[in-house]
Amino acid sequence: MVSKTEEEQVNRLENQVENGGGGAWEYLCLVRKLKLRRSDKECVKVLQKKFPESKRVGRLEAMLLEAKGLLAEAEKAYSSLLEENQFDQVIHKRRVAIAKAQGNLSGAIEWLNKYLEMYKQAAFCYEELILSQPTIPLYHLAYADVLYTLGGLENLHAAKKYYAATIDLTGGKNIRALFGICLCASAIGQLAKGRNKEDKESSELQSLSAVALEKLYKQQSPSNLPLLSSTLRSFKLSL
Amino acid sequence: MSGDSRYEIHQNAYLKLVLHALKHRTSAVNGVLLGRSSADGATVEIVDSVPLFHSQIGLLPPLEIALIMIEEYYGEKGLSIVGYFHANERYDDFELASVAKNIGDHITRYFPQAALLLLDNKRLEDLPKGKDRSPVMQLYTKDASNWKLLGSKGSNQLTVKEPSANTVLLDYISSGKWKDIVDFDDHLDDISKDWLNSELFE
Repeated sequence: MVSKTEEEQVNRLENQVENGGGGAWEYLCLVRKLKLRRSDKECVKVLQKKFPESKRVGRLEAMLLEAKGLLAEAEKAYSSLLEENQFDQVIHKRRVAIAKAQGNLSGAIEWLNKYLEMYKQAAFCYEELILSQPTIPLYHLAYADVLYTLGGLENLHAAKKYYAATIDLTGGKNIRALFGICLCASAIGQLAKGRNKEDKESSELQSLSAVALEKLYKQQSPSNLPLLSSTLRSFKLSL
Repeated sequence: MSGDSRYEIHQNAYLKLVLHALKHRTSAVNGVLLGRSSADGATVEIVDSVPLFHSQIGLLPPLEIALIMIEEYYGEKGLSIVGYFHANERYDDFELASVAKNIGDHITRYFPQAALLLLDNKRLEDLPKGKDRSPVMQLYTKDASNWKLLGSKGSNQLTVKEPSANTVLLDYISSGKWKDIVDFDDHLDDISKDWLNSELFE
């Protein structure tokens, strides 16, 4: 769903904010991401010298163990790190990932629940993400997708708002969000049959999205345009 | 009874699904099967397939869009959705994921003999060693309320139309052909990418 450059960008910003600068750290993080396995050990040693007793370095050491496949040791390392800092999201996630990789699904679920206890629902997670970084369209989009999947009139209305926000943040170029609006309008229409008629603003929004989609397809994927048009027509029919 | 149906998958449909799974080794992937019932109703022909997603497989909106577009396109060709393909994230995981069952259930409402195919990683890995001509997938069909495994190796219920399919597959694996395959996720990220993969086997 996310393009690679976007993902890297987000991670970059995250690291910058956490760290507040420090070129060596950022570079080494990039090295880690690009998985240049050769200099892993050296990198960690360098970091240990520069930041003795740092939790982040401890985390990197544990990740190195995990990358080498020493899952049991890695898990122990993560668990002890979590004892000192129980709110570290990254470590929680790594621990779940290890359990998953070992096929220990019940363990993964247990740890995942502990992680989610802080958030309660995936939807609430995204709300937090959006609050902390409201200009990242990918969070709005993911939240909208989750809301739509959860279903129900209220969630559908909310989903529509977040798709609209995504469109706003991406200058109307995000295909998934544009489709999302059409899906929401159609689903709301079906659910709200016989109740209050859909307001003008909402059907305008749907028409605008449809027009935007057709324009984008015409530019970038003209062979698919007839198919898109008939797809959009089937959305309108169900209203 | 759907248990008595035989399922025949055309080579290109088969190849697309496996290549898609190979392209995204570290995640679960899925796809839909397009085809029709034979005139006597005894065989289900899987004529084509469309690889769907390799991320966030459980989310509804992209799935709904994909299914609507796919039905529109293939409906004109007289083909309908006759099944679903799933490849689990982990190599040794042979469990049928709940999302697979949910989508499968939905398809059986319109096509009761729907096939649910699960990639068999072990047989895929063993391909270069033996002369296995049968597709490297497990076949499930719905019987009353449960998805049942219709026997994998040795059973004739799922066959590939062209006997040389696995040889071609091995060829493509060594030439890295899986890099060229496009799924619906790729299309939604960049609509200039062709989810029909019409030029993949030219």
